[in-house]
Amino acid sequence: MSAPPMPAVQVTGLRKSFRAAGAAVEAVSGIDLSVPAGEIFGLLGPNGAGKSTTLRILTTLLRADAGSAVIAGADVFRAPAQVRRRIGYVGQLGGADKEATGNENLLLAGRLYGLSAVDAARRCAELRAVFDLEALAGRPVRTYSGGQRRRLEVALGIMHRPRVLFLDEPTTGLDPQNRANLWEQLRLLRDGGTTVFLTTHYLDEADQLCDRVAIVDHGRVIALGSPDELKQRYSADTIAVTAEASPAVLDAVARELAGDPAVSSLAVEHGTIRVTATDATRAMAAVFCALSRREVPTRAASVARPSLDDVFLRETGRSLRDAGSPAAIAGAAAAEVAA
Amino acid sequence: MTGLAVQSGLFFRRKLLETLRQPVWIITGLITPVLYLALFAPLLRSLAGGPAFPPGHVLDVFVPGILVLIAFGAGMGAGWPVIWELESGVIERLRVTPASRLALLLGTVLRDIVMFLVPGLVVIAVGAAFGYHVHWGGLALLFLLLALLTAACSATSSALGLKLRQIGSLAAVVTGAQLPLTLLAGILLPLSLGPAWLRVLGHLNPMYYAVQAARSLAAGSVATGTVGLGFLVTGVVAALAVWWGTRAYQGAMS
Repeated sequence: MSAPPMPAVQVTGLRKSFRAAGAAVEAVSGIDLSVPAGEIFGLLGPNGAGKSTTLRILTTLLRADAGSAVIAGADVFRAPAQVRRRIGYVGQLGGADKEATGNENLLLAGRLYGLSAVDAARRCAELRAVFDLEALAGRPVRTYSGGQRRRLEVALGIMHRPRVLFLDEPTTGLDPQNRANLWEQLRLLRDGGTTVFLTTHYLDEADQLCDRVAIVDHGRVIALGSPDELKQRYSADTIAVTAEASPAVLDAVARELAGDPAVSSLAVEHGTIRVTATDATRAMAAVFCALSRREVPTRAASVARPSLDDVFLRETGRSLRDAGSPAAIAGAAAAEVAA
Repeated sequence: MTGLAVQSGLFFRRKLLETLRQPVWIITGLITPVLYLALFAPLLRSLAGGPAFPPGHVLDVFVPGILVLIAFGAGMGAGWPVIWELESGVIERLRVTPASRLALLLGTVLRDIVMFLVPGLVVIAVGAAFGYHVHWGGLALLFLLLALLTAACSATSSALGLKLRQIGSLAAVVTGAQLPLTLLAGILLPLSLGPAWLRVLGHLNPMYYAVQAARSLAAGSVATGTVGLGFLVTGVVAALAVWWGTRAYQGAMS
């Protein structure tokens, strides 16, 4: 019998408060997580939700008030030095030394992790090729574009082949092409066995990049699972069909559809029928059937797949796009200062 | 795991390269001390030989003071880059590596000692050409003493930068401390010129003992109580400052 595989990240009952403007603000209010090795795991939430604070605790930068965290077998609070050897970290600010060249940055990082000068140079050459930095590596980092610098910073984070790579809002400020490029790099890392743990406030990033997502709000995990699971568990497809027909005819169509088992809710406004459905394909067929039977011409039709924002909306009553209360943001700012 | 000495060497190299890439700093670091000699020494010439002024050639009194000023300046500048590195995330990134926090601090301290030694030797060379009497044994110990002072200032400045986190606050504290520290150490004008209360305040300033020892060493008197006290006070302050700076680099976690 072999023991069950050790999770890459195991977090239990994590708590952290900061003092902001004289009042204690709880940034992390009891987070539990278990991330198996070899997945891309995302903490998704609005600004001030406690994502960065959680990440800073897991990367040994901040001490939690309560709870425990074990990264790749090392306890964050009892053995921070061991944790540091097993993880890589790409912070929100990046952290490349701007006056030094890319090569100097990489070689120093390698040496600090205990690589010999020869091994560090070899690994540096390897990463230069992987991250397409060949032409840049001899130049000071301050001359790099945003995307180039981010590539270097990720390379810095994996110089020592860490078991777990942490990234705080890694694609903030990147253009779509650089963003897609970084996603691809992170997938390759995962495929190579590295666990990738990131925070994001981008819905599409959590949805398309992450294997599993924990949605956090006010320092708590409010939903946890793969993006598809979460969307199916919490939300349904939305169909909108605009037709050229009198309100009376549309009301008749609506009454007919209301009896269809594929339709879970329905509304008619301004000539548009909106249907939420657990099975979009069947519901769509039912809508067209009912319309064509009455020979009503349709002008437009669309299907909206559920998004992680719908999950957030269901759980919190707010949209993730405009969430982020002033108090929570003050807490996050206090976290920055305290760190 | 790479040892403390190797890591300190790596950080020292990084800091030295950073300085060498900014030639403006080298120019001001070398020219300002010489300007002190050229512009200030003539002013003192008329005071020399007057009441309460120590005996000897004016440069023999003045050169040790300039050296202390250079040591103070070389060390006290350390906090500014620390704040830039906090803002750009460099320190945060390094804190997540296994790098020793002491090595992080010592990289800067060692660089600052070099930034004291080079202009210090220039001052000695130029001063000697204009009548300063060099006592070799004393001079070697003098540079050792002032390297300790540079270390104390550098570690303190780094710690202040890490704690204050803002250029404005750091500038206020450093410039605010500079006048009383340097004046009450009797660096440019001997405290013996001042009234009794000023001399008492001077004895509360740790830098005073370094300056007294520096004058003694520059004059070639090595085995004196003044020198011993200077090394003791400066050594203790440097050790405390390095301890404080290392703690500041540790941040919230050890």
